[in-house]
Formats: sequence, C-alpha cells, structure tokens
Amino acid sequence: MERRKIALWLPETHFLEMSTPRVLPQSKETLLQSYNKRLKDDIRSILDNFTEIIKTAKVEDETQVSRATQGEQDHYEMHVRAANIVRAGESLMKLVSDLKQFLILNDFPSVNEAISLRNQQLRTLQEECDKKLTSLRDEIAIDLYELEEEYYSSSYSQWDSADLSLCEAFHRRDSWASPGSSVGTACGSEDASGPVCQESGLGHLNGHSSNAADHP
Amino acid sequence: MANDRLRALEDVEKEIAVILQCAGNVVLELSKEKPNASLLDRQLSQFTGAVNRVESELSSQIRYLTQVATGQPHEGSTYSARKDCQMALNRAEYARVKLGELGRTCEVLLDPQT
Repeated sequence: MERRKIALWLPETHFLEMSTPRVLPQSKETLLQSYNKRLKDDIRSILDNFTEIIKTAKVEDETQVSRATQGEQDHYEMHVRAANIVRAGESLMKLVSDLKQFLILNDFPSVNEAISLRNQQLRTLQEECDKKLTSLRDEIAIDLYELEEEYYSSSYSQWDSADLSLCEAFHRRDSWASPGSSVGTACGSEDASGPVCQESGLGHLNGHSSNAADHP
Repeated sequence: MANDRLRALEDVEKEIAVILQCAGNVVLELSKEKPNASLLDRQLSQFTGAVNRVESELSSQIRYLTQVATGQPHEGSTYSARKDCQMALNRAEYARVKLGELGRTCEVLLDPQT
C-alpha cells in the first residue's frame, strides 16, 4: 500500500509524458525507475568528482593552513574522489549487467524471434535427416529385392510356404488385382521362373516394396 | 537480430572502461611538470564524448524496456522442435549402427578365415 502511494507521488511527470497508457506491474515499473536513477546518479558522480579533482589540482598561492597541510588535504581529497569515480564506474557496469539480464528475460520481440529462428533451424535439420533416411531406405529396398530374388531362386534357400519372398508377394498381389492373368505361381522354386517374376515385380517396385517389406 | 541490443550493451561496457581510462590519463598528465596541452584536450574530449554516449545509449535501452516489458514470464520454448530433431538424429544413428552390423556380418561370411 505504501509503495503504491510513493509510486503515485514520485513519477508524476513520467506518467504525463507517456502517450500510450501502459499498465506495468508495480515491481517492473519501480525496477525500471531504479535503473534510471542509478544511471543518472552514477553519471553525475563521475562528472562531479572529475571536475572537483581538476579544480583541486590548481595550486593556490594563499592557503589558510600551511602548504604542507593543504597539500596533504588535497592529496587525500583526490584519493577519495578518484575512488568515487571508480566506484561509480563499477556501479555502471553492474547496471549494464542488470539491463542485459532484464533484456534477455523480458524483451519479448527478440525472444520470440530467437525462438522461431531456432525452431526453424531444428526443423530444417530434422527434415534433411528424414529425407536422407527415406532415400537410404529406398535404395536398400531395391538391393534387398534383388538379393531375395537371388536367394530364393537358389538351391540354398529353405523355402517355407508361409514365408513369402518379395517377388512371391508381388505375384500374389498381381493375381488379386487381375485374376484373369496367369503368371507363374512358384517364383522361388526354379530358376526359369526367376526372370518372369523379376519383370512383373519390378513394375511395382518403389510403390509397393515397403508394403512387402512390412509383412514378414 | 535479437543480439543487437546485447551487443550494444557490450559496447557500452567498453565505453565505460574508456571513461575511466581517459580520466586517469588526464590526472596523470596534470601531475607532470609540463603537461602536454594537446594530449589533455584529446583525452578530455574523449572522456566527455564517452560519458555522453554511455548516458544516451543506456537511457534509450531503459526507454525501450519500459515500452516492451510486461510482467508476464515468457512461455515459449524450442523443446518440441528440439525433441523431434533429437529423435531424427537417433533414427539416423540407429540406421548407421544396424548397417554397420550388417556390413560386419557380410564381411565375416565372405571371409571366414579372417
């Protein structure tokens, strides 16, 4: 309650200057006002102390105390003012660091832009990866078809009637599609039927190879 | 770009260092028997220029933040895109591993003596 009263008192001019009436939460507004105050105080401190050092550097002919004492006093004063300048500089650095932190957390336009850029990059990478995997799959399917044909048409294969090779699966598919056609049934039995199987199978290669491969 | 403001703030930090450097050089020059007037002028103009630049840049940043900041926390994230990308990379890695195994198996079968 008290903070709200103080906020109403102090930044009257600030409210009058702003054309669009924005209602910031109390903490954010007081925080930004404190940043302003720190900035002004530090800059003023640096300038004042610097000008005072320059003024003190002037050698006076008439001094109230002895020259040595005056010298000692001036020496000490310059030390303190120099330390003040350094402290103000340090405080400005802290202010810059706080502003950076505030920007990163609260500057929504730049945060949104950064997020969308990152999303775009990641999505591009993912699509490229998947595209390469798909092309790899297609190439391997072609090679697998040829290998299976070679294997099942050789005498080494132990052909199980329930276990269909790719070309036999294509034959079955063709016969379901067009029952009138009578292509050789046993693709895996003899070498003679191999080329026939290859001719009919290759026509459906890329479109259906994945289907056949999915059915074990 | 999002980083322009942060880069501007980094330049402000360098300017603050320049302020302190110039102030120190002026005092050092004044402490000599015969101070170099041109050097003094140069350092002094550099000092005042840096102070003005720092003040204007910081107050413009604070003004921008007054216009842009709300009290709400930002709730956007890149998590979903990152997860999808990670899964795609895992798929590629898995395919690579399987192909490697296949290759080794073929090599073993082709050269049973090695």
